[in-house]
Amino acid sequence: MSTTRRNTSQRLTLVILVLLSVTAITLDYRGDASKAIRSIRNVARDGISPIQRVLADALHPIGDLFSGAVNYGSAVSENEQLRNELGTLRREALENQTAEHQLQELLNEENLPYIQNLPTLVAEVVAGPSSNFEATFEIDRGTSSGVGVGMPVVDGAGLIGTITAAGSSTSVVEAITDPGTSFGVSFGTPALYAVAGGRGTGYPLSLSNVTASTPVTDHELVYSSGIAGASLPAGIPVGTVSSVHYTRGTLTKSVLVTPVADLSGLSTVTVILWFPAP
Amino acid sequence: MTPRAWLRVAAVVCVMLFVQEAVLNVLVLGGAHPDGFLLLAVAAGLIAGPQRGAVIAFAIGLVADLFVLTPFGLSSLVYVLVAFGAGSLASIPGGRAPISFQMMAAFAGGVAGTLLFEGIGVLIGQPRLPGHELVAVVAVVSISNAALIIPATAAMSRAINIGPSRDLAGVSGGSAAR
Repeated sequence: MSTTRRNTSQRLTLVILVLLSVTAITLDYRGDASKAIRSIRNVARDGISPIQRVLADALHPIGDLFSGAVNYGSAVSENEQLRNELGTLRREALENQTAEHQLQELLNEENLPYIQNLPTLVAEVVAGPSSNFEATFEIDRGTSSGVGVGMPVVDGAGLIGTITAAGSSTSVVEAITDPGTSFGVSFGTPALYAVAGGRGTGYPLSLSNVTASTPVTDHELVYSSGIAGASLPAGIPVGTVSSVHYTRGTLTKSVLVTPVADLSGLSTVTVILWFPAP
Repeated sequence: MTPRAWLRVAAVVCVMLFVQEAVLNVLVLGGAHPDGFLLLAVAAGLIAGPQRGAVIAFAIGLVADLFVLTPFGLSSLVYVLVAFGAGSLASIPGGRAPISFQMMAAFAGGVAGTLLFEGIGVLIGQPRLPGHELVAVVAVVSISNAALIIPATAAMSRAINIGPSRDLAGVSGGSAAR
Protein backbone atom coordinates (compact mmCIF):
# COMPACT_ATOMS: atom_id res chain seq x y z
CA MET A 1 0.00 0.00 0.00
CA SER A 2 2.76 2.42 1.05
CA THR A 3 4.79 1.40 -2.01
CA THR A 4 1.87 2.28 -4.25
CA ARG A 5 1.43 5.62 -2.52
CA ARG A 6 5.15 6.29 -2.81
CA ASN A 7 5.14 5.47 -6.50
CA THR A 8 2.15 7.72 -7.07
CA SER A 9 3.89 10.53 -5.22
CA GLN A 10 7.06 10.05 -7.27
CA ARG A 11 5.14 10.12 -10.53
CA LEU A 12 3.18 13.17 -9.47
CA THR A 13 6.44 14.96 -8.65
CA LEU A 14 7.85 13.95 -12.03
CA VAL A 15 4.77 15.24 -13.85
CA ILE A 16 4.86 18.55 -11.97
CA LEU A 17 8.57 19.05 -12.72
CA VAL A 18 8.10 18.19 -16.38
CA LEU A 19 5.20 20.63 -16.60
CA LEU A 20 7.28 23.34 -14.91
CA SER A 21 10.09 22.75 -17.40
CA VAL A 22 7.72 22.84 -20.35
CA THR A 23 6.20 26.06 -18.98
CA ALA A 24 9.69 27.60 -18.76
CA ILE A 25 10.41 26.56 -22.35
CA THR A 26 7.09 28.02 -23.51
CA LEU A 27 7.75 31.29 -21.68
CA ASP A 28 11.18 31.50 -23.31
CA TYR A 29 9.51 31.44 -26.72
CA ARG A 30 7.14 34.28 -25.83
CA GLY A 31 8.10 37.93 -26.35
CA ASP A 32 8.11 39.61 -22.95
CA ALA A 33 9.05 36.59 -20.90
CA SER A 34 11.81 35.82 -23.36
CA LYS A 35 13.27 39.30 -22.86
CA ALA A 36 13.17 38.86 -19.11
CA ILE A 37 14.90 35.48 -19.33
CA ARG A 38 17.53 36.96 -21.64
CA SER A 39 18.17 39.73 -19.14
CA ILE A 40 18.50 37.23 -16.29
CA ARG A 41 20.93 35.20 -18.36
CA ASN A 42 23.02 38.28 -19.14
CA VAL A 43 23.10 39.27 -15.47
CA ALA A 44 24.11 35.73 -14.49
CA ARG A 45 26.89 35.68 -17.08
CA ASP A 46 28.13 39.10 -16.00
CA GLY A 47 27.92 37.99 -12.38
CA ILE A 48 30.21 35.03 -12.72
CA SER A 49 32.48 36.69 -15.25
CA PRO A 50 35.07 38.14 -12.82
CA ILE A 51 35.36 34.91 -10.81
CA GLN A 52 35.33 32.93 -14.00
CA ARG A 53 38.30 34.89 -15.37
CA VAL A 54 40.33 34.42 -12.20
CA LEU A 55 39.51 30.72 -12.09
CA ALA A 56 40.11 30.33 -15.80
CA ASP A 57 43.58 31.85 -15.42
CA ALA A 58 44.30 29.56 -12.49
CA LEU A 59 42.67 26.39 -13.75
CA HIS A 60 43.08 26.58 -17.51
CA PRO A 61 46.59 25.17 -17.26
CA ILE A 62 45.04 22.05 -15.69
CA GLY A 63 42.41 21.86 -18.41
CA ASP A 64 45.05 22.56 -21.03
CA LEU A 65 47.19 19.77 -19.59
CA PHE A 66 44.39 17.23 -20.00
CA SER A 67 43.34 18.73 -23.28
CA GLY A 68 46.92 18.60 -24.47
CA ALA A 69 47.11 14.96 -23.45
CA VAL A 70 44.11 14.02 -25.57
CA ASN A 71 44.61 16.53 -28.35
CA TYR A 72 48.38 16.63 -28.51
CA GLY A 73 48.55 17.26 -32.23
CA SER A 74 46.29 20.28 -32.13
CA ALA A 75 47.54 21.55 -28.79
CA VAL A 76 51.02 22.37 -29.94
CA SER A 77 51.82 25.93 -28.98
CA GLU A 78 49.98 28.16 -31.41
CA ASN A 79 49.58 31.69 -30.16
CA GLU A 80 46.93 34.05 -31.33
CA GLN A 81 49.27 36.62 -32.78
CA LEU A 82 50.70 34.04 -35.17
CA ARG A 83 47.20 32.84 -35.90
CA ASN A 84 46.04 36.32 -36.79
CA GLU A 85 49.09 36.93 -38.94
CA LEU A 86 48.57 33.64 -40.70
CA GLY A 87 44.90 34.42 -41.19
CA THR A 88 45.69 37.84 -42.62
CA LEU A 89 48.26 36.36 -44.97
CA ARG A 90 45.81 33.67 -46.07
CA ARG A 91 43.17 36.25 -46.74
CA GLU A 92 45.59 38.47 -48.65
CA ALA A 93 46.80 35.54 -50.68
CA LEU A 94 43.26 34.52 -51.52
CA GLU A 95 42.27 38.05 -52.34
CA ASN A 96 45.31 38.50 -54.53
CA GLN A 97 44.54 35.33 -56.39
CA THR A 98 40.87 35.65 -57.08
CA ALA A 99 38.92 38.10 -55.09
CA GLU A 100 40.44 41.52 -54.89
CA HIS A 101 39.05 42.36 -58.25
CA GLN A 102 35.67 40.86 -57.33
CA LEU A 103 35.53 42.75 -54.07
CA GLN A 104 36.38 46.04 -55.73
CA GLU A 105 33.83 45.35 -58.40
CA LEU A 106 31.18 44.55 -55.84
CA LEU A 107 31.94 47.76 -54.02
CA ASN A 108 31.91 49.79 -57.18
CA GLU A 109 28.83 48.23 -58.69
CA GLU A 110 26.64 47.99 -55.66
CA ASN A 111 27.98 50.87 -53.61
CA LEU A 112 28.46 48.61 -50.60
CA PRO A 113 30.23 50.00 -47.55
CA TYR A 114 33.86 49.02 -47.26
CA ILE A 115 34.23 46.91 -44.18
CA GLN A 116 37.44 48.53 -42.95
CA ASN A 117 35.74 51.87 -42.56
CA LEU A 118 33.42 50.50 -39.89
CA PRO A 119 34.34 51.02 -36.24
CA THR A 120 35.74 47.94 -34.53
CA LEU A 121 36.55 46.74 -31.06
CA VAL A 122 39.12 44.13 -30.04
CA ALA A 123 37.87 41.59 -27.51
CA GLU A 124 39.37 38.69 -25.65
CA VAL A 125 37.78 35.25 -25.67
CA VAL A 126 37.15 34.33 -22.03
CA ALA A 127 35.22 31.07 -22.31
CA GLY A 128 34.34 28.39 -24.79
CA PRO A 129 30.88 26.93 -25.38
CA SER A 130 29.01 26.01 -22.20
CA SER A 131 26.89 23.49 -24.05
CA ASN A 132 27.78 20.75 -26.49
CA PHE A 133 24.75 21.77 -28.51
CA GLU A 134 25.95 25.17 -29.63
CA ALA A 135 29.09 26.52 -31.28
CA THR A 136 29.55 29.62 -29.15
CA PHE A 137 32.19 31.39 -27.12
CA GLU A 138 32.20 34.27 -24.70
CA ILE A 139 34.11 37.54 -25.07
CA ASP A 140 35.06 40.14 -22.47
CA ARG A 141 33.16 43.03 -24.05
CA GLY A 142 29.51 43.85 -23.60
CA THR A 143 26.96 46.61 -23.96
CA SER A 144 29.08 48.96 -21.84
CA SER A 145 31.67 48.86 -24.65
CA GLY A 146 29.07 49.39 -27.35
CA VAL A 147 28.65 45.73 -28.28
CA GLY A 148 25.14 44.64 -29.25
CA VAL A 149 23.25 41.61 -30.47
CA GLY A 150 23.72 40.98 -34.18
CA MET A 151 27.16 42.55 -34.55
CA PRO A 152 29.63 40.57 -36.65
CA VAL A 153 32.80 39.18 -35.12
CA VAL A 154 35.89 38.67 -37.25
CA ASP A 155 39.57 37.90 -37.03
CA GLY A 156 42.43 38.64 -39.39
CA ALA A 157 41.16 36.13 -41.93
CA GLY A 158 37.45 36.77 -42.01
CA LEU A 159 34.09 36.14 -40.43
CA ILE A 160 33.92 34.16 -37.18
CA GLY A 161 30.35 34.69 -36.04
CA THR A 162 27.83 37.14 -34.66
CA ILE A 163 26.91 38.39 -31.19
CA THR A 164 23.84 36.52 -29.98
CA ALA A 165 23.68 37.70 -26.36
CA ALA A 166 25.18 40.79 -24.78
CA GLY A 167 25.50 41.54 -21.09
CA SER A 168 27.09 44.69 -19.74
CA SER A 169 30.62 43.28 -19.59
CA THR A 170 30.47 40.05 -21.60
CA SER A 171 28.87 38.82 -24.80
CA VAL A 172 28.23 35.47 -26.42
CA VAL A 173 29.33 34.92 -30.00
CA GLU A 174 27.66 32.28 -32.13
CA ALA A 175 30.20 30.85 -34.57
CA ILE A 176 29.30 30.62 -38.26
CA THR A 177 29.64 26.85 -38.02
CA ASP A 178 26.76 26.55 -35.54
CA PRO A 179 23.99 24.46 -37.13
CA GLY A 180 21.49 27.24 -36.36
CA THR A 181 23.40 29.90 -38.28
CA SER A 182 22.42 31.16 -41.74
CA PHE A 183 23.30 34.35 -43.57
CA GLY A 184 23.50 35.73 -47.08
CA VAL A 185 26.71 35.40 -49.08
CA SER A 186 27.90 36.42 -52.51
CA PHE A 187 30.53 35.07 -54.84
CA GLY A 188 31.66 35.27 -58.43
CA THR A 189 31.57 38.04 -61.02
CA PRO A 190 28.96 39.34 -61.50
CA ALA A 191 27.93 38.69 -57.94
CA LEU A 192 25.77 35.67 -57.32
CA TYR A 193 23.92 35.22 -54.08
CA ALA A 194 23.26 32.25 -51.82
CA VAL A 195 22.55 31.45 -48.19
CA ALA A 196 25.34 29.93 -46.08
CA GLY A 197 24.46 27.69 -43.15
CA GLY A 198 26.53 26.09 -40.39
CA ARG A 199 26.90 22.31 -40.19
CA GLY A 200 28.67 21.92 -36.88
CA THR A 201 32.05 22.66 -35.36
CA GLY A 202 34.95 21.72 -37.60
CA TYR A 203 32.82 21.17 -40.68
CA PRO A 204 32.43 23.39 -43.74
CA LEU A 205 29.41 25.60 -44.26
CA SER A 206 26.85 24.60 -46.85
CA LEU A 207 25.43 26.97 -49.44
CA SER A 208 21.77 26.72 -50.29
CA ASN A 209 19.84 28.32 -53.15
CA VAL A 210 22.65 27.61 -55.61
CA THR A 211 20.88 26.65 -58.83
CA ALA A 212 22.26 23.98 -61.11
CA SER A 213 23.22 26.55 -63.72
CA THR A 214 25.17 28.76 -61.29
CA PRO A 215 28.87 28.76 -62.11
CA VAL A 216 30.82 27.91 -58.94
CA THR A 217 34.45 26.88 -58.89
CA ASP A 218 36.63 25.33 -56.23
CA HIS A 219 38.66 27.75 -54.08
CA GLU A 220 36.39 30.63 -55.00
CA LEU A 221 36.18 33.18 -52.21
CA VAL A 222 32.76 33.75 -50.64
CA TYR A 223 31.84 37.04 -48.92
CA SER A 224 28.96 38.24 -46.82
CA SER A 225 26.45 39.63 -49.28
CA GLY A 226 25.25 42.74 -47.50
CA ILE A 227 22.15 42.99 -49.65
CA ALA A 228 19.27 45.03 -48.28
CA GLY A 229 18.20 43.85 -44.86
CA ALA A 230 21.18 41.52 -44.51
CA SER A 231 22.35 40.39 -41.11
CA LEU A 232 25.98 41.21 -41.95
CA PRO A 233 27.71 44.09 -43.72
CA ALA A 234 28.96 43.40 -47.22
CA GLY A 235 32.41 42.21 -48.12
CA ILE A 236 33.51 40.21 -45.08
CA PRO A 237 35.42 37.16 -46.29
CA VAL A 238 33.55 34.06 -45.16
CA GLY A 239 35.30 31.10 -46.74
CA THR A 240 36.45 29.37 -49.87
CA VAL A 241 34.49 26.87 -51.91
CA SER A 242 35.86 23.47 -51.00
CA SER A 243 33.38 21.21 -52.76
CA VAL A 244 30.86 21.53 -55.57
CA HIS A 245 28.57 18.62 -56.27
CA TYR A 246 25.77 18.35 -58.76
CA THR A 247 23.45 15.37 -58.99
CA ARG A 248 21.92 14.97 -62.42
CA GLY A 249 18.20 15.70 -62.43
CA THR A 250 18.23 18.03 -59.42
CA LEU A 251 17.63 21.77 -59.53
CA THR A 252 20.40 22.84 -57.18
CA LYS A 253 24.07 22.23 -56.55
CA SER A 254 25.54 21.10 -53.27
CA VAL A 255 28.29 23.58 -52.38
CA LEU A 256 30.50 23.44 -49.29
CA VAL A 257 32.54 26.39 -48.06
CA THR A 258 35.49 26.11 -45.67
CA PRO A 259 35.72 29.15 -43.36
CA VAL A 260 38.81 31.29 -43.93
CA ALA A 261 38.99 32.02 -40.21
CA ASP A 262 40.41 29.33 -37.95
CA LEU A 263 37.63 28.92 -35.39
CA SER A 264 39.52 26.60 -33.04
CA GLY A 265 41.39 27.98 -30.05
CA LEU A 266 40.52 31.63 -30.56
CA SER A 267 41.81 34.02 -27.94
CA THR A 268 41.38 37.45 -29.50
CA VAL A 269 38.70 38.61 -31.92
CA THR A 270 37.42 41.85 -33.41
CA VAL A 271 33.82 42.99 -33.08
CA ILE A 272 32.55 45.17 -35.93
CA LEU A 273 30.32 47.79 -34.35
CA TRP A 274 27.62 47.45 -36.97
CA PHE A 275 23.98 46.69 -36.30
CA PRO A 276 21.90 44.75 -38.80
CA ALA A 277 18.95 46.61 -40.27
CA PRO A 278 15.89 46.24 -38.01
CA MET B 1 15.33 18.28 2.51
CA THR B 2 16.29 20.96 4.98
CA PRO B 3 17.21 24.52 3.97
CA ARG B 4 20.79 23.72 5.04
CA ALA B 5 20.87 20.77 2.69
CA TRP B 6 19.62 22.99 -0.13
CA LEU B 7 22.38 25.48 0.65
CA ARG B 8 24.96 22.70 0.48
CA VAL B 9 23.50 21.51 -2.83
CA ALA B 10 23.71 25.10 -4.09
CA ALA B 11 27.36 25.21 -3.06
CA VAL B 12 28.06 21.99 -4.95
CA VAL B 13 26.30 23.40 -8.02
CA CYS B 14 28.33 26.63 -7.78
CA VAL B 15 31.57 24.69 -7.57
CA MET B 16 30.51 22.61 -10.56
CA LEU B 17 29.65 25.78 -12.47
CA PHE B 18 33.18 27.06 -12.12
CA VAL B 19 34.74 23.66 -12.75
CA GLN B 20 32.62 23.41 -15.90
CA GLU B 21 33.56 26.87 -17.13
CA ALA B 22 37.23 26.73 -16.21
CA VAL B 23 38.19 23.09 -16.71
CA LEU B 24 35.58 20.84 -18.33
CA ASN B 25 34.86 23.24 -21.20
CA VAL B 26 38.54 23.08 -22.11
CA LEU B 27 38.59 19.28 -22.25
CA VAL B 28 37.37 19.16 -25.81
CA LEU B 29 37.59 15.90 -27.69
CA GLY B 30 36.04 15.59 -31.12
CA GLY B 31 34.33 18.95 -30.61
CA ALA B 32 32.60 17.82 -27.39
CA HIS B 33 33.31 18.37 -23.71
CA PRO B 34 32.06 16.75 -20.47
CA ASP B 35 28.76 17.97 -19.04
CA GLY B 36 29.22 18.53 -15.32
CA PHE B 37 25.62 19.52 -14.68
CA LEU B 38 24.24 16.37 -16.25
CA LEU B 39 26.72 14.45 -14.10
CA LEU B 40 25.36 16.16 -10.98
CA ALA B 41 21.79 15.38 -12.04
CA VAL B 42 22.63 11.68 -12.38
CA ALA B 43 24.41 11.79 -9.01
CA ALA B 44 21.35 13.43 -7.43
CA GLY B 45 19.13 10.66 -8.77
CA LEU B 46 21.48 7.94 -7.57
CA ILE B 47 21.93 9.44 -4.12
CA ALA B 48 18.56 10.98 -3.31
CA GLY B 49 16.28 8.62 -5.20
CA PRO B 50 13.88 9.40 -8.05
CA GLN B 51 11.68 11.94 -6.30
CA ARG B 52 14.16 14.15 -4.49
CA GLY B 53 16.75 13.51 -7.16
CA ALA B 54 14.40 14.89 -9.81
CA VAL B 55 13.68 17.99 -7.72
CA ILE B 56 17.40 18.63 -7.23
CA ALA B 57 18.03 17.96 -10.93
CA PHE B 58 15.34 20.48 -11.84
CA ALA B 59 17.14 23.14 -9.82
CA ILE B 60 20.49 22.15 -11.36
CA GLY B 61 18.92 22.43 -14.80
CA LEU B 62 17.64 25.94 -14.12
CA VAL B 63 21.16 27.02 -13.19
CA ALA B 64 22.65 25.30 -16.23
CA ASP B 65 20.08 26.99 -18.46
CA LEU B 66 21.33 30.41 -17.39
CA PHE B 67 24.63 29.88 -19.16
CA VAL B 68 23.54 28.45 -22.51
CA LEU B 69 21.57 29.80 -25.45
CA THR B 70 19.20 26.84 -25.78
CA PRO B 71 15.62 27.44 -24.59
CA PHE B 72 15.31 28.09 -20.87
CA GLY B 73 13.91 24.97 -19.22
CA LEU B 74 15.28 22.47 -21.73
CA SER B 75 18.17 21.40 -19.50
CA SER B 76 15.78 21.20 -16.51
CA LEU B 77 13.44 18.93 -18.42
CA VAL B 78 16.24 16.63 -19.53
CA TYR B 79 17.91 16.53 -16.11
CA VAL B 80 14.61 15.79 -14.36
CA LEU B 81 13.97 12.80 -16.64
CA VAL B 82 17.54 11.52 -16.32
CA ALA B 83 17.65 11.92 -12.53
CA PHE B 84 14.29 10.23 -12.16
CA GLY B 85 15.51 7.36 -14.32
CA ALA B 86 18.78 7.05 -12.42
CA GLY B 87 16.94 7.19 -9.10
CA SER B 88 14.48 4.55 -10.21
CA LEU B 89 17.34 2.30 -11.30
CA ALA B 90 19.13 2.80 -7.99
CA SER B 91 15.93 2.03 -6.11
CA ILE B 92 15.66 -1.46 -7.50
CA PRO B 93 15.77 -3.84 -4.50
CA GLY B 94 19.16 -5.41 -3.94
CA GLY B 95 20.82 -3.25 -1.40
CA ARG B 96 23.60 -0.72 -1.79
CA ALA B 97 24.55 0.11 -5.36
CA PRO B 98 28.15 -0.85 -6.04
CA ILE B 99 30.59 1.49 -7.72
CA SER B 100 30.32 -0.42 -10.98
CA PHE B 101 26.54 0.09 -10.94
CA GLN B 102 26.95 3.82 -10.38
CA MET B 103 29.41 4.02 -13.25
CA MET B 104 27.08 2.14 -15.55
CA ALA B 105 24.15 4.31 -14.51
CA ALA B 106 26.22 7.44 -15.11
CA PHE B 107 27.23 6.18 -18.54
CA ALA B 108 23.61 5.41 -19.40
CA GLY B 109 22.57 8.78 -17.99
CA GLY B 110 25.08 10.48 -20.27
CA VAL B 111 23.76 8.68 -23.33
CA ALA B 112 20.11 9.23 -22.40
CA GLY B 113 20.62 12.86 -21.38
CA THR B 114 22.42 13.78 -24.59
CA LEU B 115 19.92 12.03 -26.83
CA LEU B 116 16.98 13.51 -24.92
CA PHE B 117 18.46 16.98 -25.20
CA GLU B 118 18.91 16.55 -28.93
CA GLY B 119 15.51 14.91 -29.45
CA ILE B 120 13.48 17.39 -27.41
CA GLY B 121 15.53 20.25 -28.85
CA VAL B 122 14.66 19.23 -32.39
CA LEU B 123 10.99 18.85 -31.41
CA ILE B 124 10.87 22.45 -30.18
CA GLY B 125 12.64 23.82 -33.23
CA GLN B 126 16.29 23.83 -32.24
CA PRO B 127 18.83 23.11 -34.98
CA ARG B 128 19.70 19.46 -35.34
CA LEU B 129 23.22 18.53 -34.29
CA PRO B 130 24.99 16.78 -37.17
CA GLY B 131 25.19 13.00 -36.70
CA HIS B 132 28.97 12.85 -36.41
CA GLU B 133 28.96 15.57 -33.78
CA LEU B 134 26.14 13.92 -31.83
CA VAL B 135 28.13 10.68 -31.69
CA ALA B 136 31.13 12.58 -30.32
CA VAL B 137 29.00 14.36 -27.72
CA VAL B 138 27.36 11.11 -26.59
CA ALA B 139 30.73 9.39 -26.31
CA VAL B 140 32.51 12.18 -24.45
CA VAL B 141 29.62 12.96 -22.07
CA SER B 142 28.85 9.35 -21.18
CA ILE B 143 32.48 8.29 -20.70
CA SER B 144 33.31 11.37 -18.62
CA ASN B 145 30.13 10.80 -16.59
CA ALA B 146 31.22 7.27 -15.80
CA ALA B 147 34.72 8.45 -14.89
CA LEU B 148 33.57 11.29 -12.62
CA ILE B 149 30.48 9.83 -11.00
CA ILE B 150 32.22 8.68 -7.82
CA PRO B 151 33.38 12.15 -6.71
CA ALA B 152 30.08 13.59 -7.89
CA THR B 153 28.01 11.17 -5.80
CA ALA B 154 30.33 11.72 -2.84
CA ALA B 155 29.81 15.49 -3.07
CA MET B 156 26.07 15.11 -3.54
CA SER B 157 25.71 12.67 -0.64
CA ARG B 158 27.57 15.05 1.65
CA ALA B 159 25.45 17.94 0.44
CA ILE B 160 22.15 16.25 1.16
CA ASN B 161 23.58 14.57 4.22
CA ILE B 162 23.22 10.97 3.15
CA GLY B 163 26.12 8.79 4.19
CA PRO B 164 28.02 7.00 1.45
CA SER B 165 27.00 3.63 2.83
CA ARG B 166 23.32 4.44 2.60
CA ASP B 167 21.12 1.74 1.14
CA LEU B 168 19.81 3.30 -2.05
CA ALA B 169 16.76 1.07 -1.96
CA GLY B 170 15.89 2.71 1.30
CA VAL B 171 16.45 6.19 -0.08
CA SER B 172 13.55 5.83 -2.42
CA GLY B 173 11.43 5.20 0.59
CA GLY B 174 11.76 8.85 1.37
CA SER B 175 13.74 8.64 4.58
CA ALA B 176 16.75 10.43 3.17
CA ALA B 177 15.78 13.92 4.16
CA ARG B 178 13.83 13.25 7.29
